[in-house]
Amino acid sequence: MNALDLHTLKTLQRPLGVLAAVIAIGAILLYYTDRALQSAQRAAAQQESQLREARIQLNKSGEEKETIVRYLGRYQYLQQLGFVGDEQRINWLDGLRLANRETRLFGVDYQIGAQQPYPYAAELNPGQLTLYQSVMKINLKLLHEGDLMRFLRTLAQFGAGVFSVNQCVIQRVDAGDDLRNQPNLRAECELAWITLRPPGEKKS
Amino acid sequence: MNWPALPKFNFSFNRPDTGDKLLISVSARQVSAAHWRHGHFAGCDMFTYSDEGLGAFKSYLAEIRKSLPVHMLVDAVEEDYRFESLPHSTGRDRSAMVNRKLKQHYRNTPYISAQLRGRDSDKRRDDRYLFCALTNPELIAGWVQAVIECELPLAGIYLLPAVSRELVERLQLAQTNLLLVSRNSSGLRLTFLREQTLRISRLARIDSTTPQAIKSYAEEISNTRLYLHALRVMTLDEQLSVLIVDSDDTLAELAEIIARDNPNIECRRLARAEIVARVGIAAPALDSSADALYLHLLGLHAPDSNLAPANVTFGYRRQKFRRGIHAATAVTAFVMAVSGAYNWYRIYDIDLEIKSDSETAARQTAARQIAELQAQYREATQQYPAAPTSGENLRRAVEISQKIGATTRSPETMMNIVSRVLEHSPAITVKSFGWKYGATNIEPGGKTAEPGFPAAAGSARRQSGLIDGEVRPFRGDHRAAIETINGFANLLSQQPEVAEVKITKLPLNISPASALSGNTTEGGGLAGTAEFKLLLVFKPTL
Repeated sequence: MNALDLHTLKTLQRPLGVLAAVIAIGAILLYYTDRALQSAQRAAAQQESQLREARIQLNKSGEEKETIVRYLGRYQYLQQLGFVGDEQRINWLDGLRLANRETRLFGVDYQIGAQQPYPYAAELNPGQLTLYQSVMKINLKLLHEGDLMRFLRTLAQFGAGVFSVNQCVIQRVDAGDDLRNQPNLRAECELAWITLRPPGEKKS
Repeated sequence: MNWPALPKFNFSFNRPDTGDKLLISVSARQVSAAHWRHGHFAGCDMFTYSDEGLGAFKSYLAEIRKSLPVHMLVDAVEEDYRFESLPHSTGRDRSAMVNRKLKQHYRNTPYISAQLRGRDSDKRRDDRYLFCALTNPELIAGWVQAVIECELPLAGIYLLPAVSRELVERLQLAQTNLLLVSRNSSGLRLTFLREQTLRISRLARIDSTTPQAIKSYAEEISNTRLYLHALRVMTLDEQLSVLIVDSDDTLAELAEIIARDNPNIECRRLARAEIVARVGIAAPALDSSADALYLHLLGLHAPDSNLAPANVTFGYRRQKFRRGIHAATAVTAFVMAVSGAYNWYRIYDIDLEIKSDSETAARQTAARQIAELQAQYREATQQYPAAPTSGENLRRAVEISQKIGATTRSPETMMNIVSRVLEHSPAITVKSFGWKYGATNIEPGGKTAEPGFPAAAGSARRQSGLIDGEVRPFRGDHRAAIETINGFANLLSQQPEVAEVKITKLPLNISPASALSGNTTEGGGLAGTAEFKLLLVFKPTL
């Protein structure tokens, strides 16, 4: 059939209009039934998943009880330590003060940054738990380099929280002529105080 | 008849057309019209070729359903057939060349047609065409106009010999040179087919009412043989088969005369009864018009040699297009309705699955099952010790604290190693010592990388240290100082914990890429200092 001219198309206006209407109505019908079908499939899949999870949860209820009994005590200790839950910055400062006194140093200057997500959390496989860190920079004067290690060990022993040492720099300082009871070294360290938050708990 | 027969297959793509249509045969003496219904027609309506006949024809058409397609057959002397070879071509080139050829041959008529009839067997393998035309368009003008005025879609106009091929197929004739002879309303029609393909046809106007008619017919057949020889369509030596189509059983004598007078002509007569039996036309229909047989053949299958120009078949094409749209609409509506129904069925099916779980004997609803399982779980959890979070979270929190403890490092190990090596290097004095545990090495000045984040994803943390020291005493001997520093670095690198030792600064920069200046004056304490910097990296496992 040769190409149809405008006049011919005009005479075919009605059947073409009917065809267009059928296509439009059909497309709308298919669109809505397809959406309804997808929605029904999602609902079915969701319900199936819920049913499966409920069965698994019930089956594992005995196992969970055993887990709670086994780990609850240590978890509560971590709460007291300040590792689980909100940051206990006052505890950290108390720890610094006590460690300084215990190691008979010359005082500690500190500076704590804002809390932020712990960058190495992925290595620890935290699951639903969230890990945070607050970076603390400390400045302290030492008689000799051994004092720094004693200070860090004492700080850890006081149980003010969980921290890891990121970086330390020790430099000689001019002590003048009187060498007794004068600091010979100055240390700058960066500590990361790490806290953990269970799901559902918001940051304070 | 026991002539060679064409092979007959049980399947066919060329099935008889059973669609309703109006068949019209126009000759210079009369016009026959037949209404084709369900694969046959009952009889022909006859109209004289005159103004009165045309008027009656218009009245007849006025009674016809407007959508009925019309196929018109023309039996006229004013016809032309040309069998020609043209260079092989395809697509638009072929159309252009054929149209050019048609215009060249037939300037004064719009009723023209060209059909490809195979290719030559020589090297060039040219295309062979049969060009045909109705050279007197006025013959059918009034009748065509009547059809168009009555708004009937004119599907095609064909020369009467064009439907002969259908007769050959129906009779399964396999003669190489076949001359079909029939007596129609306008005279004696002689159609020559070579290898079942129409080559030429002529109409001899002979008055059939005279006593000498049969003799004249025989002479025309003999003349046709000479005519074919003159046209070089076939030679006189070749065998010619003549089939006399005797629709009214009046040509028996003609067959005898041909057989007697022409020993090299094989002559057969197709009698009325045989026509009815083999072609499938009803006897009353055959008797209703001298052109009835050809109208029946046209009704069975319209040939491809349609002479009608596009402006004449416009209505038919529009009707076909409209029917195509209707068909597309119906198919679209059906497909979409079925698809929609299938979707609804699946939704209903899923809904049933949601509401009832067939796996359970009690056919509980899945939602109720979930609620019951959760209730059982809550009951079980009441036996648990009071816990701030799930058992899984408790376990994970404890494990994380243990892992952090295991991965925590302090500068102590590195300081011990450096102290141990310094005991063997008395000339080295450390001014400053830096240590870092991270994904990147410590940088001079103790600067950290981005606050708190690993330098690159997946990079393992390691311990690194930066020693800022000098060689004492130093009296200007740079060579000795550098050797001392290198010795210190070597001792460090020999430690099992150390992965890498790199001197980042020497007392003297001996690189050819930088300028160098100094003083060689000898004397105590005037030679400056021999400072250096050294980077120390531990193995990642430490």
